[in-house]
Amino acid sequence: MKFTFRPAAALIGLSLAATGLAGCSEQAGGGGGTAEAGTCAPADITLVGQVRNESNPYEAAWLDGGDAFAKSVDLTQERLTYDGDSTKQQEQISQLLAGDTECLVMNILPNGDSDTPPIVEGAEEAGAYLVTQWNKPADLNVTDYDQWLSHITYNGVESGKQIGDALAEAIGGSGGIIALQGILDTGAAKDRFAGLEESLAANPDVELLDDQTANFSRAEALEVTKTLLTKHGDDVKGIWAANDDMALGALEALQQAGRTDVAVVGIDAVPDALTAIEDGAMTATVSSDGPWQGGIGLAIGYCVATGELSAEDIADEDRAWFAEQFLIDQDNVADFVSPETDDADFECDNVFSRSQGAIS
Amino acid sequence: MSTASPAEDVEVAAARRPQPRRGVSFRDAGPPIALIVIFAVFSALSPDFRTLGNVQNILDTAAVLAVVTCGITFVLMMGSIDLSAPGIMGASAIAVALLVANNRNDNALGLVGVLIAVLLAAALGCLSGLALVLLKVPSFMTTLGISAIGLGLATLMFAGVQPNITDTMLESWAVDRLLGFSYLTWIAAACVLLGWLIQRYSRLGRYAFAIGGAEEVLSLSGVKVAPYKIAVFTLAGAFYGLAGVMVTSQLSAGLVQAGKGFDFAAITAAVVGGTLLTGGRGGILHSAVGVLLITVLTNGLVQVGVSPYWQGGVQGLIVVAAVAAAVIPQRRRNQVTK
Repeated sequence: MKFTFRPAAALIGLSLAATGLAGCSEQAGGGGGTAEAGTCAPADITLVGQVRNESNPYEAAWLDGGDAFAKSVDLTQERLTYDGDSTKQQEQISQLLAGDTECLVMNILPNGDSDTPPIVEGAEEAGAYLVTQWNKPADLNVTDYDQWLSHITYNGVESGKQIGDALAEAIGGSGGIIALQGILDTGAAKDRFAGLEESLAANPDVELLDDQTANFSRAEALEVTKTLLTKHGDDVKGIWAANDDMALGALEALQQAGRTDVAVVGIDAVPDALTAIEDGAMTATVSSDGPWQGGIGLAIGYCVATGELSAEDIADEDRAWFAEQFLIDQDNVADFVSPETDDADFECDNVFSRSQGAIS
Repeated sequence: MSTASPAEDVEVAAARRPQPRRGVSFRDAGPPIALIVIFAVFSALSPDFRTLGNVQNILDTAAVLAVVTCGITFVLMMGSIDLSAPGIMGASAIAVALLVANNRNDNALGLVGVLIAVLLAAALGCLSGLALVLLKVPSFMTTLGISAIGLGLATLMFAGVQPNITDTMLESWAVDRLLGFSYLTWIAAACVLLGWLIQRYSRLGRYAFAIGGAEEVLSLSGVKVAPYKIAVFTLAGAFYGLAGVMVTSQLSAGLVQAGKGFDFAAITAAVVGGTLLTGGRGGILHSAVGVLLITVLTNGLVQVGVSPYWQGGVQGLIVVAAVAAAVIPQRRRNQVTK
């Protein structure tokens, strides 16, 4: 009895929710779609930053950057988190778009590539200003939309290569390394590993002994590294990790194995990694500058909403672009330990200054 | 007097009834044989696998999963399910990281901090049990809810800054070794032993089995099962709490995600070892074998050099095969498979 009843209830619930959502977006589409760009008084603008969760230092810093920008224009940012749950993200977006969307500016971190299209469609219909970061399907073009102002991401191949080169240098240009890959079916993991392969091609004496996935997780990286250390022993001179969490897990494994002669590199510049670089335990990481990411999306939307920047004037190559990322090693780590936003980066004629070119 | 004695009689009868013991050796031999076979195959394939260092590594790696599985096994024996491990472990991991010497505050409670974290975890487990018994919410849902509460508590305590521990005692658990194995491995071994003693000799363990086997019979015999159910969930919570502390010791940091994935890993380990999801069968030692099986598999696939792109699939295939082999002797008894 139970099992026949529950799917029925779930189905009814889902279809109710679906009709509810459809109703909302239609309504919003009718009301907000006609809003003209650049007619909002600064005080009427609503700023929204949405990331996965605040328990992740990088994403918490992202929202803090959004707050800093909001403060600089005498507004407050609405901080939203969806716990890495795609459904919850869409619900939050629908709720936002069901409200007053005329002067709504959203800086969104979509959970995955496939979560971006519904957010974009929703914003387009409701007339809200949208900037997305990191994830979008490759065949979804920002220039096909009016309200989707910009999509910002980072060149993973480049960051993978940067830390690969830093690692090669740290081990003196020759020796064995092991690679800890991220979640294998994500673009970030693929690109970063492709960057490592480029770096290996440029450093022929560096040998990739093994590559395994630790799913971007510190705990998994600890176990995998321990296993690889027993497998390859003293041949391991360096560890390349596709993010800092895994690099930190690898550092713990090295400590437990009593090894101090292995160089470790990661990507993301989380606070613990920066501390490890300061202490000399870790070699290098790459920063995308989370606080800047939190501010810049709101800044672009704010500039367009107030009319200081016209949506038509944004060049096509600034609609979907790679932002600058920074290699951090012991020499410059002090500059990144307490990252702060620079209001000059958020000036309306400066918002695209960190572009490294359009996403090809 | 007259109301108490029938219950006592039933308990004794249930314990001594020879029926379930018949065929035990045959049915229980599956997983250990699978473990030996897999171990032998990997040893033949990879010289790196059969080193003493790697055996130490396997046991060290199995430690946390073993402790989580100890907890979950009692719940499974009762025929309930428990998905609260990720939340409870996260809460206890952050709690212990904030209570021992760390970079966030001036606490330095040492072992007392560990105890408080485990008690917090036990309290969360107790809450699962209470919701199950008093509110009659199925364990699947209550434990999922408790997991969310645990993660919520952890996120609140986390407050945006990673607590890194500087407590030398807790750090030494993962690093220092006794007779070749890390302290964490010994702690896990002690937990398995404790779990086995509880299961074998205490009323709690006996009743957990009986509830899983035939709860109606037990309650019709005048046994109040509710307190035992709550106690089992509390015990499981304490085990998860200790596991969260162990993860913190390994990573030298309190992570909200400390228990991520351990719920299903532990259920898999228990089932592979021969603990049935329907309850009433299996036990701590079965589950311990299951934990070793899973850990040997993960380690062996890396040592043999299976590409990471294939590992997930290969691992799943072997697990299904191992479970299928283990349940063959019971196939006729379990006509219904749901």
